[in-house]
Formats: sequence, structure tokens, C-alpha cells
Amino acid sequence: MSDHKPEKKVKPPQAFGWMAEYDDENKFLDAARKVRDSGYTRTDAFAPFPVHGIDEALGIKPTVLPWFTLIAGACGTTTALVMECWMNGYSYPYIISGKPFISLPAFIPVAFELTVLFAAFTTVFAMLGLNGLPKFSNPVFSNPKFDRATDDRFFIWVDSRDKYFNSDKVKALLEGTSPLAVDEVREDDTSTDVPKALYFGILTLILASLIPAVLVWNMRSVRSDKSRWHVFFDMDFMPYRKAQKQTTIFADGRTQRPPVPGTVPRGGYAIDDPMYLGYTPDANTAMITPDSSSVVKLVSAQEGAAQEPKPQEPAPTTQEPTPPAQEPEKPAEKPAQEPTAEPAKQEPATTEPAKQEEPKPEPAKTEPAKTEVAQEPAKPEPPKSVPATPITPAPAAQVPAAQAPAAAAQQPPVAAATPAVPDRKYLEKLPEQFQANDEMFALGRKKFEQVCSACHGFAGYGNGLVSKRAEALQSSYWLQPTSVHDERLQKQPIGQVYYTITNGKGKMAGYGSTLNVKERWAVALYVKSLQRSQNAQATDLSN
Amino acid sequence: MSSVLTSGIDNTYDTPGRRTPLVTGGHNYSAVTRMVSRISEEAQPTVWWIAMGIAVPLLIMFVSLIGHLFLTGVGVWGNMSPVFWAWPIVNFVFWVGIGHAGTLISAILFLFRQNWRTSINRAAEAMTIFAVVCAGTFPGIHVGRAWLAFWLTPYPSLNLWMWPQFRSPLLWDVFAVGTYASVSLVFWYMGMIPDLATFRDRSKTKWRRMIYGILCLGWSGSSRHWMRYEKAYAILAALATPLVLSVHTVVSFDFAVSQLPGWHTTIFPPYFVAGAIFSGFGMVLTLLIPVRAIYNLKDLITPRHLENMCKIILATGSMVGLAYITEFYMAWYSQNPNEYFTFVNRAFGPYWWAYWIMFTCNVISPQVFWFRIFRQNVILMWIVTIFVNIGMWFERFVITVTSLSRDFLPSSWGYFQPTWVDIGMLVGSFGLFTTLFCLFCKYLPIVAISEVKGVMSQHAHDEHRHEHGHSH
Repeated sequence: MSDHKPEKKVKPPQAFGWMAEYDDENKFLDAARKVRDSGYTRTDAFAPFPVHGIDEALGIKPTVLPWFTLIAGACGTTTALVMECWMNGYSYPYIISGKPFISLPAFIPVAFELTVLFAAFTTVFAMLGLNGLPKFSNPVFSNPKFDRATDDRFFIWVDSRDKYFNSDKVKALLEGTSPLAVDEVREDDTSTDVPKALYFGILTLILASLIPAVLVWNMRSVRSDKSRWHVFFDMDFMPYRKAQKQTTIFADGRTQRPPVPGTVPRGGYAIDDPMYLGYTPDANTAMITPDSSSVVKLVSAQEGAAQEPKPQEPAPTTQEPTPPAQEPEKPAEKPAQEPTAEPAKQEPATTEPAKQEEPKPEPAKTEPAKTEVAQEPAKPEPPKSVPATPITPAPAAQVPAAQAPAAAAQQPPVAAATPAVPDRKYLEKLPEQFQANDEMFALGRKKFEQVCSACHGFAGYGNGLVSKRAEALQSSYWLQPTSVHDERLQKQPIGQVYYTITNGKGKMAGYGSTLNVKERWAVALYVKSLQRSQNAQATDLSN
Repeated sequence: MSSVLTSGIDNTYDTPGRRTPLVTGGHNYSAVTRMVSRISEEAQPTVWWIAMGIAVPLLIMFVSLIGHLFLTGVGVWGNMSPVFWAWPIVNFVFWVGIGHAGTLISAILFLFRQNWRTSINRAAEAMTIFAVVCAGTFPGIHVGRAWLAFWLTPYPSLNLWMWPQFRSPLLWDVFAVGTYASVSLVFWYMGMIPDLATFRDRSKTKWRRMIYGILCLGWSGSSRHWMRYEKAYAILAALATPLVLSVHTVVSFDFAVSQLPGWHTTIFPPYFVAGAIFSGFGMVLTLLIPVRAIYNLKDLITPRHLENMCKIILATGSMVGLAYITEFYMAWYSQNPNEYFTFVNRAFGPYWWAYWIMFTCNVISPQVFWFRIFRQNVILMWIVTIFVNIGMWFERFVITVTSLSRDFLPSSWGYFQPTWVDIGMLVGSFGLFTTLFCLFCKYLPIVAISEVKGVMSQHAHDEHRHEHGHSH
């Protein structure tokens, strides 16, 4: 390092020296030895490639460069390990794949890479720094012959600032080494003018390159009324699911998603538990046998009711016998035959896995108790039963889905057929697993206000915000949600309310997959309480 | 230049007693300078324009497809459950592998004193840089929101105050590839400084002189500078050697540290490194065979150079073949049914065609280099290297896609289908690579002039000493 410094000071304008040119590296080496032996130290030798032996011939001392590399490498290792330990061990610890926060084996690769990175960059920059590069002005460049120093010529240079320097003696010495030529070199003092424009250019470039950063910084720190400037959209413009709007996300255009076909929610597998069903499966379930096929049937029944448009088609489905999708042409006849012929005939179909996918009510037929869709086609009892609501025509129109109208179109004939309605024994009280206490009531209220009130309103009059909005928009097909204070609904036992919440009704989708059993019962309880609160009797005060 | 003179000379034999020269044709220093500088100083040959004419539209297509990806999302690719790592990662590993030859030639062959490297190292290093550029693009855009790829770096986030997860191979990969790219770049640039000075000194115009003058940082050729420069070069070589091996080791950790059968094997690091060197030398030959013909560099890049590279391809190709067979053996020996299934499925499952393309191209095709005729006929050699490139792409495809498409859950098994964007991006990345390489040929010294002269000088020097004995 120290041996180089002088060259940096070659700057003073009057500096000059003698330069000898050779065309052969052997002459060049011999000349270098002569110069060295003559005692000159401010010398240099220029060659187009590293000539072997020149270090010794010219008396060049070894470099300290490897120490820079060593220190930088050690810094790299330390930096990496400290960074990793601090970041993953203290500043932001989290458990991942069972490894300790400070996992040294896992920290080795990055430590190694940073060691190499630091060491390599330091080596290069230290090499340049020790060489005094970049250095664009050098007295030796003023000799036009010197252009061949990077091609095929070798040069020996003796600086005039050497303490033994004597111009004539140096010249004589160099001429005695069989050179091609010996030239005197003066520093080129014209060179300083050129860079001025360059400086301005570079300064302008640097300033210009700061503009984007300043703009970004400004935009990030200043408040503005204007909406954000979206360079990248990230997730800002997604096909959101909006209430009362058709969505492009799903093929059926609906935003509220039914359970995945063929799945049973955790804890939701119950064939004959009134707590899950909302009614007591007594006589109706007589046919149930706990065989292997019951799961399949349950599943297909769920699909039919919860996911498909079926539940929304009130009257038609109630009498269920005719699968609307399957045989729309002759709906009327089917119901009649069903009780007898159908079960036996349809049984195999239901057990067949492929058929599960289709929203067929057949399984319901054979397993009346399990299906929400009505069974017992023979029983005509429209008023009380779930499906046979007076809203018949509405639902199809309300369903925003594209396919709904088509399905609805097929229904009327079916509806015209015998309105068969199941006569379920709905629970009159909460199932014994739940108590009508404050906690249950609070849960019911919470869930009602979260889930139901958007349509039904907080008091249950069917005037929720969604409904108001639809009316404000004068939506032609909008049908106001049912008021829970409807006389018909007031008469319904709590089990039926629960049943409706679970499986949906009319245009209302089932919430069996959204709310768990307890929540559904709690909401049913809350609905009953709402009804009572709006129609309080004098006797209610006695409590 | 004087290839007519040299056509009869066979420098692939080592005669005992005196080493055969690495530069044929009896050139002196100035002839070597001219031979290389001429490429940049004269107008480019027609082939160059044809290559650019093909590569630049492909590059534009590549950039457009990346724009399409940014605006639309990663759904434009065929990546779909269960194959979430598909072509982008395959392409990444492919290009990173290619990027191993340059630094290997510069560093490892330097440490082993393989002087023949001097004629090919510059082009190979350039190839490394450009391959790493292609490689770096793919994981960058694969993260989905590529404009947030800087989240991978441990920077102090003002909003989140979170740090990366240093126990993950994916983060090691960021550091490994980042370090490799930057160290290769400075290594390459440092190696070019003396040659850029040569370009500067040969410049006819003021602008050209100024630009190369700035690029070469005012290099004067001082012996004191040379001394530190050589020391730095040796240190960098020593640093880059383990770095080269570490990079593909870490890339293999991306796979091997996961639990997936077909990935979770300890053989991966050496297997990947051998594959990387194999593919890298394949690509070096693919590029240099035309380059030496187009630019008439046959005296610098001699048949001996090509033959040496063929031998390395043969060696590494056989190592890769051994790795394939070892994987099968281990799958059987472990008696792990999942492991066994995975490998049988690779060779005989739905992707059998990919497996056998890989096996044929990588293991069988290089075996022709046992025969001298194939190591000397450049046309045959070039065809084999094309097969090597194809085979190595398919190796990464086989590893990535066949393992993922049949994972632990049979219900999620699938068959990967690339989209047109996938294909366009693979082709486009070749456009990027070729464009960069063509520009390199036009503007930068494609052979390390000073290093070649050093090798010539040693020869001359030895002769000289022979004649005069030790004069000091």
C-alpha cells in the first residue's frame, strides 16, 4: 500500500520522468533489474499482462490486500449471525417447523453467503483503492506511444521525484537496456477542462434519478383527498361479493355459498336427533334403518335442500315426489304413485355415488325423516308445513342467479299438483341440551343481529337494510323478507323456526352451515322472544 | 485469422517434454489483441444481426408477458393444485445451473492452474451473468406481487416491523443467488478491466475512448497494479469456488429440505452441483462453437479447448447418470413405499416421456464423448450439447413436476398443463439471454486478452530461460 502512495502524488503539474519502451518482456525484465540495482525507487513498469518475475525485478513489495479480505469476511460472518439471531431470536421470534428460534445450523448458509459477499466486494474495492483507481489522468498517458502498453509493448518509468533522480543519468541508464525508445514525459496540463461538462452531466443525472424517489416519498407522506394512484392494483379491485348483486366469482351468480356438495359439517352428522333436526322423527322415520347407505342419503338430502334452488321453491318441492329437474313434463302423476312404488325403485339410485351430485329429492322420499324437503307426498296440509308457504311464486323471481328463473318456470305445474306437506312433530321447546337462559338469549340476539337482521330487521319485521335498499332501488323482483311477527309464523313452534333457519325457506338460504347447532337454537329462541315481545299479553307482566 | 495455417495442426496431443501451445497459429501479442478487439471495432457479421433479429422480438415478448403476468396475476401460468411450482421454478433452476460454468471456469480451473481456461473464461463468465439474470427473473415474478419482492430482504419495515425467516431454504436461496450474481458480476468486471483498457487505447473516436476509459477506471498496466490485481483475482477465485458449489447446493435445499418424496433426499446437493456444471459446460460449448467460427477465433479457442470441455461434460454427465440410478436404488433400498412409488412413477407414470427424454439426453448422449471423433468434430459436439441443454431442462421438470403432481393425497393428484404464457416465457428468456450475449460480443472483449497473453508469455519466458539459463 505504502509503496503505491507516491504515485497518487504524481499530480503536481511539473512532474515528469523518463520512459523506456521495450518489445520483449525479457529485455523489459532485465531493464527493470538494472533500474532497481541503480537504487531508484520511484519507478514503475507497465505491461499488457502481469509479467512473471517483475515484482522481484522491480522490487515491488507484497500487498496487504489479503488482510482486507480476511477482516471483511469475518465481518460478513458476524453480521449475518448477529442479524439472524437478533431478527429471528429476539426482534421477531416465531415458531416454524419445530426449529428453535436461534437455530445455528439453519443460519449457516446465509452466514456463509454474506462472508463471501463481504469478502469479495471488499477485495475488489480494496484492490482498486490500493491501486488508486479510478484515476483517469496519469502522466504516462501523455505519451502517445503508451497506448501500446495494453497491447504488446512494455515500459519502464522513472519518476523525477526520486531522490536520486538525475535526468541525464536516468536517460543514459535506460538507453543502456536496449529499448526501442526512451522518451521524456511531461504531465499533460490541458486535461482538466474536459470534465467540467461531465460533472454537470453527472450531477444532473444524479438529481434526476432522485426525482422518482422524492415523488414517492412525497406521495407517501402527504395527505390528499384524491384517491390513491394505483401503480399496482394488488387486491384493490377484486370481484367482491356484494349483497343483492350478482357476482362473477361463481357460476351460479350467487354470493351466498351453500355447503360443498357431499360434505357433512363437523358435528353435524345426525340422522334422528331432534336437536339437529328440529323435530322428532317418530312415525316418519319408521323406515330408517341405520345401514351404510344412510350417510349417502343424508348427504344427498342436504344437497337437495341446503344447496340447491329447491328449498327456495316452496310449494313444488314440498310435495317433493317429483324431481323437478329430472322430469318436469309429468309432475302431476308422480306424486300419486310415489308412496308405494317409488321407494323401492329409487333406493338403488340414491346409494349410487354418482347420483349424489345431482339435486334429487328422491332420497328424501325414501328417507322422509331426514330430508328437510318434505316427504309423505300423500299428506296435503299446506298451511302448517314448512315448504307450503303462500309465497310460492316469489322465490324464483328473487333469486338473482341466472338459472333460477329457468328452474322456476318449470315449477308451477308441479305446484298445481297435490300440495303434499309433511306433518312433522316440531319441537315445542328447546331441546334438553340447551337451557333458555340469559346466555342463550344473548347468543341468539348476537347472531340474529349479525346474520338475520340485514334482511329481517332488528325487530324482525322484514325491514332490514337490505330490504330497504332494494325497495329504494325499486327493484322489480324484490319481495320483502317475511316478518317474524306474521301470524302464521307466530304459531310456529320453536322447532319449526329452528328448521327454517337450518334449511332455509323460500328465497332464504339455509344457515345450517353458517351457524352451529347451539347458535341456531339460540336464534330460534330469540325469534320466539321477539314475537312475544311484539305481542305481549298482560299476563307476561306477571313475571 | 490465420486459420488456414493452423488447420493442419493438432494441438490436442500432449507431447512429453514440451507443452503444446494454447494459442495456435504463431501469433504474437499484438495479433491476439487485434483478433479480439476487431470483433468490437468492426461491423458485426450478418449472423449477429440475424441472431439479434430473432432474440430482440423474443425479449420484447418476454417483457410483454411479464407485464401481462403483473396485470393479470399468476393465474396466467399453468400452476394449479397440486403443482404449484411449475415452469417458473423449472426455468429458474435451469438457468441457475447454466450459470455455474462461468465461475467454475474462472475460479476452480484457475485454482487448479488449468491455463487453457484463459481463452474461454470471459465468454463463460458473461454467459454466467446473463444466465443468472434470466434465473433471477423467474423467482422474482413467481412471488406473485413482484413489486413487493423486496420483502424477501431483511430491511427495516416501518409499517410491519417484521423480519424474514432465516430458517427457510427459500431465504437461503435469496442470499445464495444474490451473492452469486453480485460476486460473479464484480469478478467478471474486474477481469475485464485490463481488456477494457486495451479497447480504450485502440479507440479511434473520442467518445469511444472516453467511455472505455471510464469503464476501465484509468487502468495503466502498472506492475504494482498488476501485482494487487492478480492477488485479488486469486482471492476472488478462492472465494468463488465454494460459492459456486454452495449456490446450487442451496437451490437443491429448496427441494431437499421439504418432505415430499422425490425431493427429500440427501443426494440432492452433489447431484444438483454436478448437473449444474454439466449444463453450464453444455451451454458454454453451445455458444462458443458458433462464436469461434463466426469471429474466427479458432486460434484462441482451439480444438484442445473444446476437447477438454467435452471431457468435463462426459464426466459430469456420468455423475448425473449415477445420481439418477442411485435415487432409484435408494428408493428400493429404503423400502419406503411412497419413495418407491415416486420413482417408479417418474419413469413409468404419466410423465414417463419427460423422464426418458432427460435420461437419454443427459446420460446416454454425452457417452459419445468417449470416442475421439465426437470430441473433435464440432458439428457432432454441438448437437450433443443441444441435447444436454434439453435434457437438463427436463431434469428440473421431472424433479419439480412429477413429484408435486403425485403428492401424498391421491385425491389431489393431477397432471400439469402449461399455458401459452408458460411456453412464451421459457422461449422469451432465451431471447433475453441471447440479446445480452450478442450485445456482449459487440461491445466487450469476449476473450480475456491479457490472460491469454500471460499464458503465451509463460511459454516464451520458459523458452527464454531455456536458452539463457537463470540470469539472476
